[in-house]
Amino acid sequence: MELNVNGSLHRVSGDGLLVWALRDELGLTGTKIGCGIGLCGACTVLVDGEAVRACITSVRTVQGKRIRTIEGLAQGDQLHPAQQAFLEHQVPQCGWCMSGQIITLAALLEQRPLPDEPTMLAALSRNLCRCGCYTRIRQAVRSARLLVQQQEARR
Amino acid sequence: MSQAASPRRWRVSRRGFLIATGIAGGGLALGFRLALPELQLWLSEWAEQTDASTGAPFAITPNDPFAWFEISTDGEVRLFLTKVEMGQGVMTALTQLAAEELRLAPSRIRVQQGPTSRFRSPDFFGTAGSTSVLTMFAPLRQAAATLREMLRAAAAQQLGTTADQVEVADGMAFARAQPSRRLTFGELVREQTNWETPPQPAPLTPPTAWRYIGQPVPRLDLRDKITGRAIYGYDARVPGMLYGAVLHPPSLEGKLRRIVSVERAKQTPGVQQVVVERDFVGVVARTRAAAWQAISQIEAEWEIGKRWDQDEIERIVTVGGPGGVVIQRVGDAPAHLQGEGVIRAEYRTPFAIQTPLEAQAALADARPERVTIWASTQSPFMMQQQVALALRMRPDQVEVVPLLVGGGFGRKSFNPEIAIEAARLSRAVGAPVHVAWTRQEELQLGFLRPPTHHRLSARLEGGRIVAIEHEQASGDVLFAFAPGLAKQLIGNDFGATRGATIRYAIPHRRVVAWRRDLPVRTGPWRGLGLLANTFAVESFMDLLARAANADPLAFRLAHLPDTLWGRRMAAVLRAAADRAGWGRPLPPGHAQGIACSTDVNTVVAQVAEIALEEDERIRVHRITLAMDCGLVVNPDGARAQAEGAVMWGVSSALLEEARVSNGRLAALNLDGYPILSLDRAPAVEVLLLNTTNSAQPYGVGEPPMGPTAAAIANAFLALTGRSLHQMPFTPQRVRERLSG
Repeated sequence: MELNVNGSLHRVSGDGLLVWALRDELGLTGTKIGCGIGLCGACTVLVDGEAVRACITSVRTVQGKRIRTIEGLAQGDQLHPAQQAFLEHQVPQCGWCMSGQIITLAALLEQRPLPDEPTMLAALSRNLCRCGCYTRIRQAVRSARLLVQQQEARR
Repeated sequence: MSQAASPRRWRVSRRGFLIATGIAGGGLALGFRLALPELQLWLSEWAEQTDASTGAPFAITPNDPFAWFEISTDGEVRLFLTKVEMGQGVMTALTQLAAEELRLAPSRIRVQQGPTSRFRSPDFFGTAGSTSVLTMFAPLRQAAATLREMLRAAAAQQLGTTADQVEVADGMAFARAQPSRRLTFGELVREQTNWETPPQPAPLTPPTAWRYIGQPVPRLDLRDKITGRAIYGYDARVPGMLYGAVLHPPSLEGKLRRIVSVERAKQTPGVQQVVVERDFVGVVARTRAAAWQAISQIEAEWEIGKRWDQDEIERIVTVGGPGGVVIQRVGDAPAHLQGEGVIRAEYRTPFAIQTPLEAQAALADARPERVTIWASTQSPFMMQQQVALALRMRPDQVEVVPLLVGGGFGRKSFNPEIAIEAARLSRAVGAPVHVAWTRQEELQLGFLRPPTHHRLSARLEGGRIVAIEHEQASGDVLFAFAPGLAKQLIGNDFGATRGATIRYAIPHRRVVAWRRDLPVRTGPWRGLGLLANTFAVESFMDLLARAANADPLAFRLAHLPDTLWGRRMAAVLRAAADRAGWGRPLPPGHAQGIACSTDVNTVVAQVAEIALEEDERIRVHRITLAMDCGLVVNPDGARAQAEGAVMWGVSSALLEEARVSNGRLAALNLDGYPILSLDRAPAVEVLLLNTTNSAQPYGVGEPPMGPTAAAIANAFLALTGRSLHQMPFTPQRVRERLSG
């Protein structure tokens, strides 16, 4: 079976959960695993632009869909606005939940019209951070939204 | 400056340094040792928090080296450290120290968590206790300065001048008279064959000339962490590796009686081998899913052990009876706490779980003569030793490569089990094996923050406290894993009593601690006993302030001694209160509470602003925190630690409680053990003060979480007139207090 991950096709066994196909079969360990029940959000990836929890998603259900992981978010050296904002505010501590946080934010930033800030914060409340980087996540959400708005305005 | 870092000591090259040329590809390597006085520094400061009488010398004598520099011939400067990065920013802060003396931007130093073989003697402390920066502050700068002077001397030789004419800057050296001819560090290292430590002590850069220390240098590890490139223990991979899983008991006291059948496990698709060795049963498979599936197929009979329930455990953790150890005695408190007029209150904190979001994970490659482990651990050297013991090998045959830690919080300060599991399976199958625990295993097999019980008694006279007693009972924190260390202390687990002593200027003070053996594994948790003890003592202070009809801030200030500590504490209390608008009108339904604590010589005050929601949930709107942690190496890093520590405090105060039911933990995932999420997180403001212009950094990782629960409880008291005595402050407990 083939999976479309970060713009190219990869062979996978086709068994089991997406999180292990990405991490163990394809070596894309940027997608993390926290709880295994879809609760903490560390395993969040984009499937056709939507934030999906890879630890409760079977590989078969995403066949033929476009999967993007944290490794595929930046365009070369150009970071995604979600990544830029997380870097600008020095958000991560241990970093384990951060791929999921950033992917969740990236999915929101790619919606049009752009969701308002409370909507984004509500969505990110389903991504847990044990280091407690929440004050900075709030700042990063605000910055990332502004970045995207500025990019839109320039177009 | 302490003796360890005194220039004379460092000058002795053969004792103080390890100099090696001819490392791979040529270059220069320089190690240094962290001498005993440095360690005594933090131990004595830590002991100060509990009891001066236990600050006796500890028999810990690390030899060299605890840090290691390498300069390759292409000019790359590498710094190897025994400390590990678990989000606290330690690699950046320590690199700043080295960068300052090497006169090289921190981003140009490649800092690495050294594998154990890089160090000639073990750093058994690991990365714990908020001590990395304070213990390394003097020796790491001294080593880097010495390296700089060695480079300067080499440059002088190569440039045909004297060392005092040579400038070292930005990875290059040049003669002042001829600044156009610059030698890079790489060129210096390539040409030089005879390295000597400088005849004169290497001078340290004066604070007025610091370029990196004290600056908010961006974290060196973050770009990899936001792009998915950072590698943690759970991510470790080598070619040809297999996946393992190990059979674990289903209950706290569970013991394997016998294996009934492994047939179904063997027949699980993808399984390579089922390993059965006396008390150890595991499987190795080609995929992780297959390993987990197979282990669930093993049929075994278990001895469940005693079916403990929560109430029984809480009864064990109760103050009183024999075995109490007096850890603080000033005056004669018991004599003044007899008869009428004594104010009393009791407090309880529950079991809690560290729950780092990265569960335990290790990869092992066990060969006949040598084992390599890649793992997430705060204690690589302890892991090395324990793996060697389990495999009956010498420690030097075991190499532990510490990878990034996806949350430690104490849970990974003692975690050799995961490495032992991987190593045993790897040896059995003759291939590298990765073992990673599920969330369920992580909770079920971990060790918990022990429950505590506190009884406080005090007498007021004329609005002042004349006598106070804190009786405290706790499960073990550090005693659980440090028998060698424990022997030298008498009955007092100084981890459990962290923050338990009373430093207010009260004529009669007594603190008594009881260790309680529990049927549940307990151990370190961020701050150890600090949060629980501060919750009890500082909540009680507000009850006393109320009885004295005094403002909680003024009451605390009135009880601070006129000492250095007292002045520092007064400064942070005032700073937090001023910034929070203490005493000024608040929105309707809001109230503020204040509390303070001291830990690793850092003083912290917090003001919590809360409201009560319709369902009796406490909403913490804002925490204003002021902290004097001495000299701050990286202010943005210190702020980040304080912000995170507050979230830990809020999470613990409002949500976290692990319960034992029928001999096992009741909750085995985050659905049954909720932790704080973004929507419940307060706004946090952090004020950093170095009120005494200290030239020494203190602790930052744990101290700022001390006051949070007490500040919230005190705000609740201000809001409702009712005090809270049991963490967490759930809606049910709030309702009980409001109706009671």
